[in-house]
Amino acid sequence: MFSRWNWVACGFYLVLNICSPDASGGLVQSCGHIIPESPVLALGSNFTALCILNETCLDFGNIYANQIIWKIKNRVVPKEQYREINRTVSSVTFNDTSSLATPLTCNILADGQIEQNIYGITVTVGLAPEKPKNLSCIVHQMSRFTYVMNCTWNPGRHTFLDTEFRLKYSWPEEVFPDCIPKGVNNSCTINDIQFFVNTEIWVEAANALGKAESDRLVVDPVDIVKPLSPQNVSVSSGILPTVLKLSWENRISHAVMLLKFNIRYRIIGETSWMEVPSEDTASPRTSFSVQGLRPYTGYAFSIRCMKEDGVGYWSDWTEEKTGITTEDKPSKGPPIWRIIDASHSPASWTVHLMWKALKPFEANGVILQYEVTVRDKSSLSSPLKKYNVTSTNHTLQLPKGTYEVTVVARNSVGASPPSVLLIPASNSEAPVKNLRTLPKHDKLWVGWTAPNSYVLKYVIEWCLVSSSSDCIIEWQIALGDVQGVDLKGIKPFKCYLITVYPLYADGQGSGQSVKAYLKQDRPSKGPTVQTKKVGKAEAVLTWNHLTVEEQNGFIRNYTILYKTIDGNETVVTVDPSKTEYTLSSLTSDTLYTVRMMASTDNGSRTGPDFTFTTQKFGKGEIEAIVVPVCLAFLLIVLLGVLFCFNKRDLIKKHIWPIVPDPSKSNIAQWSPQVPAKHNFNSKDQMYPEGSFTDVSVVEIEADDKKSFSEQDLKPFDLLKKEKSTSEGHSSGIGGSSCMSSPRQSVSDSDEGETTQNTSSTVQYSTVVLNGYRDQTPVQVFSRSESTQPLLDSEERSEDHAGGADSTAQRQQYFRQNGGQDENNTDRPCFERAKQITHANEGDFVGFVQLQVSGQSSQPLGLGMEKNTQEAALSNVLQTCTQGQTVRPETVEENPLSVDDMPKSYLPQTVRQGGYMPQ
Amino acid sequence: MAAADSPSAALRRRDLCSRGIRLAGKMRADVVDLLDIYVEQQGLDASASVAAVEGVPLAAVERWDEQTGTQRLLENLAAYRAFRALLAQMLEEQREQLGEADAGLGRALAAVLLQVSAFTYHLEELLRLESRGIPGEEGDGPPPPPRLSLFEQKLRGLGVLRELAQWAVRSARDLRQLAKPGSATGTAPGLAESP
Repeated sequence: MFSRWNWVACGFYLVLNICSPDASGGLVQSCGHIIPESPVLALGSNFTALCILNETCLDFGNIYANQIIWKIKNRVVPKEQYREINRTVSSVTFNDTSSLATPLTCNILADGQIEQNIYGITVTVGLAPEKPKNLSCIVHQMSRFTYVMNCTWNPGRHTFLDTEFRLKYSWPEEVFPDCIPKGVNNSCTINDIQFFVNTEIWVEAANALGKAESDRLVVDPVDIVKPLSPQNVSVSSGILPTVLKLSWENRISHAVMLLKFNIRYRIIGETSWMEVPSEDTASPRTSFSVQGLRPYTGYAFSIRCMKEDGVGYWSDWTEEKTGITTEDKPSKGPPIWRIIDASHSPASWTVHLMWKALKPFEANGVILQYEVTVRDKSSLSSPLKKYNVTSTNHTLQLPKGTYEVTVVARNSVGASPPSVLLIPASNSEAPVKNLRTLPKHDKLWVGWTAPNSYVLKYVIEWCLVSSSSDCIIEWQIALGDVQGVDLKGIKPFKCYLITVYPLYADGQGSGQSVKAYLKQDRPSKGPTVQTKKVGKAEAVLTWNHLTVEEQNGFIRNYTILYKTIDGNETVVTVDPSKTEYTLSSLTSDTLYTVRMMASTDNGSRTGPDFTFTTQKFGKGEIEAIVVPVCLAFLLIVLLGVLFCFNKRDLIKKHIWPIVPDPSKSNIAQWSPQVPAKHNFNSKDQMYPEGSFTDVSVVEIEADDKKSFSEQDLKPFDLLKKEKSTSEGHSSGIGGSSCMSSPRQSVSDSDEGETTQNTSSTVQYSTVVLNGYRDQTPVQVFSRSESTQPLLDSEERSEDHAGGADSTAQRQQYFRQNGGQDENNTDRPCFERAKQITHANEGDFVGFVQLQVSGQSSQPLGLGMEKNTQEAALSNVLQTCTQGQTVRPETVEENPLSVDDMPKSYLPQTVRQGGYMPQ
Repeated sequence: MAAADSPSAALRRRDLCSRGIRLAGKMRADVVDLLDIYVEQQGLDASASVAAVEGVPLAAVERWDEQTGTQRLLENLAAYRAFRALLAQMLEEQREQLGEADAGLGRALAAVLLQVSAFTYHLEELLRLESRGIPGEEGDGPPPPPRLSLFEQKLRGLGVLRELAQWAVRSARDLRQLAKPGSATGTAPGLAESP
């Protein structure tokens, strides 16, 4: 219990002792202190500190050294480093100060629990300064009378402490103020510099841990001067075109030092400097004449200086000053060449002379004009022609021949030596051999093998090959002893045509050409391929060559790549000279995709895809199928026709059943000599409805039987034999068919058979055979309006030729002409006429109408003059009507007797399908 | 004299002479420049006649060519010690008169003063090389100048600078004489030169 109160009292005392004002004057009276107080320690050294307790604290607070705890920045120092020296002193030792930190405190553990701080110190750790090294000084001239000396040194390692550097300098009997660097620790500048006295210069570095001095530098400041460069430099041209004079002012007095100089110069526009030999400018001076310069050339000059003996430093170079040398006459003639155009006339040339402007160092001034002289070497008497030209080309019209052209360049000082070009009538000399090219970076080297003869010089022409413009020729001349030149200004990926001509003393060799690229690239586009022809298993592809601008190099080959939609790609390489290729072994009726690739040495480029489909059938396959099929069809048709022809009767019987012919009615059976064959259709065409109006009686007169042929007359003979007494002129009650003969009209009283046939029939029609009044008799059928039924027994297969239409037409006709008698005609005559031709229906109509009106007696033949066939028909008809007179008479008024009428029976010849007389 | 005979001593002597000559030349050039500035700043007439400055031996002497080297060195030393004191006094007076208003003139005076000091050092070294005792300054120095008026101070300053310019020329010739090979400081030079 006592102990507890004792410790409380002790702690309270400590607090009071620390915090109460000290009677001796301090605010705080500590119970102890640390020795040393705020030390500066060398990094890496060992260090021992002592904490000494006050006696007063010992007596009152029971505080002893064994209770001391050392701390470094709140970190307790291990007790192994403590040592209790006595009951009031405790020490702590650090073997390496690098482990120290600030603050280092001495603390007491009161009653084993309460830690109280007794004292603390700040520990500074660092390094002593190193000896400054590499001291060097240089005196800068600031103005004509002002010099400053700047000294630099190496301050050495970092000390971690405040370290002061001082630059010191002195004379043996004069000590000058130190130069203290501001802001830096490695240089200082001294303003008051006196020359010609050896000055001792050194650097002193000092901090809390020590002091160090550099080696001493003893130097006369005049020996370390960097003077100002000369000023007011001027350049003036002298009398000589190769000399420029430089003048300047020095900015350092002779009393201080004598100077030597460096002069450098360069041509304006160039970067490389040339220097005047130093021994020429090793003495003090304020001017110098630079010689060996090019005439009429701009030069830039620069000067620097230093102490004459070479001790010290060079000044900076002055700013460049420029000057131009004066002109001199051109040093050489311009290179000359020509282009000859002989296309206009076979006897003359257009000679384009061209020469290159002299380079500045050759022209030596401004070229005012060129003097061109042309001499015809083939004609000694021809005068010398002179031209003054200001451009670099001149065009002449010259007769073909050998000429010597001379060009002289002239400036304000004089003329150049002449340049001579021989233009021979022909380039008959030997050409160069083995012309070749080789790219060299940005130049294209052209090499050749010299001819055996001595060559004065070579002319190398080149031009950029273009598909859109002409080749613009550039050229240059090489001396005769070289066998290769570098062409400059060659663009990559462009094709150049290079030609080399050797020039001899007495002529010129022909040019040898080669194409070349400086650099190749892959083509800028690929060829566009298309098909020219597509077959079943092959396709002909065609394409155009790439233009030279698109090639970008030599096309080594074309590659054709083609494939089906789902097939593998097939590759074909094609020679670059071709523009067509045939793909073979293709699959028929298949879609192919083809593209084409052009390749140079540096790559390839593919053109657009093109698709095509092969054909399904090959050439001739369709023909091979169609032709036999057609032939077979034709054969079948032919066979069918033949078969039908052979079986026509049978076919006819099935296809065209026998229809009773009204014309073969009972009346028709009066005349058994009805022609075997009737063509009602033709009749209808010949006698259309309405052709007859008032005809009632037709007379047929056989005036001249001789005009008929025997065959034609047979019916008449037969008619006679039948002793017909009537001409068969029906009298109004029906009419016979066309096949009815006149006998039908009279047979009612004669032939028994006929009588039998006709006794039970009614006459339907009257056949009119006679022409009217010597005109061609017209066979006319008039339909009877009798309602008496037709006789089936009279049916003839031939009678159906007219068809139902004819019947209908006739019926119509009969309606129009009801009550009138029909004319009858002689059937044989008409039958023959019909065999010759089918007369124009209209003609007949017209004829019949005229005949009916009785207003014209024009024969029938006149109505058919225009047509030979019609004429033939007319002839036949006329022939047929010879000896017959057709009189249009009314039946009632003028009935004809049989005796008066010629026989009108048709011959009863047996004809197939015809009518056989009974 | 023994020291002067050694090669190193000869080199040292030659070096000192060479530097002394160049220093004298620069000093003369600077003094001439300073004279212009001084006349302009002090408002004096450049052609004004100034009496000889008391305490400064005249540069122009008769029988200059008959002087020995040591004699030359001693006369030079006496003169430059006097100049050093006078220039220091001028610098002090100039600072009192103009303060920091004309720092240029003060810097120029200080530079000349430094050169005079340096030349004095050269002379002392040369005398030391000749194993000659260097006379003390107390006895040889000029007597304390009397208190002068401002104008008199200016005129005296002008006289000091003019005489210093003269001495700079003579000193260069003296040292050139001393630097000649075979020349002995104790013997008179053969050439009849006059400053």
